[in-house]
Amino acid sequence: MSTNSLKKTSIAAGAAGVMAQMASTAQAQGVDELIAGIKSDSAEKRTETWQSAGEVGAPAVKSLAKVMTDDELEVARAAKRALWQIVRYTGRPGANQERRAVETELTGLLGDDQPVAVRREVLWMLSEIGARRSIEPVAGLLRNEDLREDARMVLERVPNRRAVAALKAGFEAAPEDFKPNMAQSLRKRGEEVAGYPCQKLVPTKKTDVKPL
Amino acid sequence: MKKSNKLNRREFLAAAGAAAASIPYLIPSGVLAQPGRIGANEKITMAHIGVGGMGGYHLNDMVQRRNQGQVNIAAVCDIDKNRLINALKTAGPGVEPYHDYRYILQRKDIDAVVIATPDHWHGVQMVHAAECGKHVYVEKPACCTIEEGKAMVAAAKKNNVSVQVGSQGRSQPEAYLAHRYLVNGNIGHINRVDCFHYPSPEDNNPVPDSDPPAELDWDMWLGPLHWRPYNQRYCHGVFRWLLESGGGQIRDRGAHVMSCAMWWMGADGTGPVTVEATGTAPKQGLWDSAVLMDVTYTFKNPDWVLTWRQMPNDKLPKAEERTGDEPGGKISRPGYGAIYRGDKGEFIHWGGDGGTWAEKKAREWELPIGGKDVYKSPGHKEDWFKGIKTGAKTIMNIEAAAGVANLCVLGNLSYILGRKLEWDQAKQTIVGDQQAQRMMSRPQRHPYHL
Repeated sequence: MSTNSLKKTSIAAGAAGVMAQMASTAQAQGVDELIAGIKSDSAEKRTETWQSAGEVGAPAVKSLAKVMTDDELEVARAAKRALWQIVRYTGRPGANQERRAVETELTGLLGDDQPVAVRREVLWMLSEIGARRSIEPVAGLLRNEDLREDARMVLERVPNRRAVAALKAGFEAAPEDFKPNMAQSLRKRGEEVAGYPCQKLVPTKKTDVKPL
Repeated sequence: MKKSNKLNRREFLAAAGAAAASIPYLIPSGVLAQPGRIGANEKITMAHIGVGGMGGYHLNDMVQRRNQGQVNIAAVCDIDKNRLINALKTAGPGVEPYHDYRYILQRKDIDAVVIATPDHWHGVQMVHAAECGKHVYVEKPACCTIEEGKAMVAAAKKNNVSVQVGSQGRSQPEAYLAHRYLVNGNIGHINRVDCFHYPSPEDNNPVPDSDPPAELDWDMWLGPLHWRPYNQRYCHGVFRWLLESGGGQIRDRGAHVMSCAMWWMGADGTGPVTVEATGTAPKQGLWDSAVLMDVTYTFKNPDWVLTWRQMPNDKLPKAEERTGDEPGGKISRPGYGAIYRGDKGEFIHWGGDGGTWAEKKAREWELPIGGKDVYKSPGHKEDWFKGIKTGAKTIMNIEAAAGVANLCVLGNLSYILGRKLEWDQAKQTIVGDQQAQRMMSRPQRHPYHL
C-alpha cells in the first residue's frame, strides 16, 4: 500500500471513528432525555416521553429496566410502557437489526440479579420479538418456580424449532407437578406427548357456599 | 339437534337414579326428545357462569323466564363468593352454587350455559362448554384474540351446539327497522359507515397492587392470563379498560355498533384488507386502553370503509329529539352509534346494544309491495332458544361474532403496534408482520386454556 493510500485509509478510519463517537454521544443523550422524561413529575410529560421511546431503541433498555422498579408507582409504570413501546417499534417489518439489538438487551435482563416482576415483563416482551438467541436464556427459567409458567408460555409462542426443542428438554427435566404444563405447550406446538392428559376440563375448586 | 356427548334415555335414568339421593338434578330436555329436537317438558335447563354485572342481568332475565315456565335454572357459578351468594338469593331454592364452572360442564342435566365473565374467559369457557355438549350464550365480544375466535367457531361446529353472542343490538326492534330501510336502498349504495363513541375513561386515582379481597379467587379471575399481583383497578366491571381483559370501548361497544354495521352491510363472513388505528393513551394508572381512538377498516370487493372513532363528547353527532311516548322512547344512549353514508343520503343509528334508536325516516318508512324484508329477531334469547330447538343459525352466531370481534381485536392491535396492518380474510391471518402474527394468539395459563 502506498503512503498516499495509507493516509487516505487513516483519514477515513478517523472520520468513521468520529462519526461513531458522535452517534454514541447522541444515543447517550437520547437515553438521558428519555429517562429524565420518564422520571418527570408531570403525567403529561411522562406519557409524551414513553410514547416516543420506540426510536431510542436498544440503548435505552437497561436504563428503563432500572426505572421499572422506581418507588414512584407512575414513574415505574411509564418506564415499563416505554420499554414495551421499544419492543413494539422494533418488531416492525424490516427492522430486523434493531429487533435483534433489543432482543440481546432484553435477554441480558433475565438473570437472577433482576427482580421477578421485571423478568416476567421481559419474558413477555421476548414472546413478541424473541428469536433464536432468546431460547436458551428463556429455557433456563423453566427451572425457576416463580417464572417457569411464563417461560413455558413464551417458548410456546416463539415460532421456531429451537423453542420446541427447548420445550421437549424442559418437559424431560420438569418436576412431576409441572409436566402437565409442559405437555400442554408441546401439544400446542403439534408434538405428541405420552401421558399427562389435558387437565382443562377437570374441576378442582369447590365452594363452601350452600344452596338455599 | 345432535349433541356429541348426550346421554340416551336409559343411561340418563340410571345416572339420575344414582344421583337422586344427593342433588336434585333436572331432566335435560334433550334426553327425552326425538332426535334433533328439544323435548320432554320443552324447558331448556340453564346454568349461569359469571353472575355479576351483565351476568346478574342475565340471571334476573332468566328467573323471569323460569317463572313464566320457559326454562329451568339448575346452577350458578362465580369466583366471587359475595356475587355467588347474591345470585343464589336471586335464583332461589333448587339452584346449585359453584365456584369452578367445570363442575357445571360435567353435569349431564344441564342443556345450556350463559357465560358472562370478563372477556379473557369468553373463548376458553365457550370452547369448554361446547366440548361438553352445552349450548352457549356468551357475552360479547366473542374473543380477545384471533386464535380464540377460530377455536370458538370450530368448537361450535364440531359439537353441533347453538351459540348466541351477546351483541343483542341485532335483535332490537329499531335495528330491524334500520336494517330494512338500508337494504331497500333508501340512502343508495352505502360506501362508508362511521361509528362514533365517547372516550374510554382514565384512572384519575391510581392505587398500588395489594392483596385480593377474601371473597375473590384472584387466580381464577385471571384464568388464562399470565399471573400478576392483584390491583383494585382490574375488577369488577373496570376490567373493561384494560387491553388484555376488556379491550376498551372498541371491544365493548364496538362489538355492538360494528355488529349492526356488518349485519346491515351484508358483510358477515367478510373482513377488511387493511386496518389502521391511532389513539391517545391514558396519562396514568393501570388502564391502558385508548382514550380517544381512530380506526379505519378498508374492505374490498365490495369496496367500502368502516371507521371507529372515540371522540370528545362535544364532537359527537347531535341525537335526534324524540318524545318519550314514541315506541322506543327517548334516545337514552346518544353517545354512540353509527352514520351510514350512501350515494343518495345518510342515516344515523344510535346505541347498538340493549337499546337502539333509528332515525325517524326509517321508523316511518313502510315496506312497499315488492320491497325486501329482512329477518326480524323474536328477541335475542328467543332467537337463541330457537337455535337450540331447531338448529337454526342464531342472529349473532359465533362465526359472525368472531368476525366482529376480529375487527375490535385488529383495531387494538394496530393501535398497540402503531402501524397499519394487512388482513387476509380467507386465511384469517395478518400479512407481512411477524410480531402482529404472534399477537394473533396469546399463550394461556395451565389449565385454563382452549
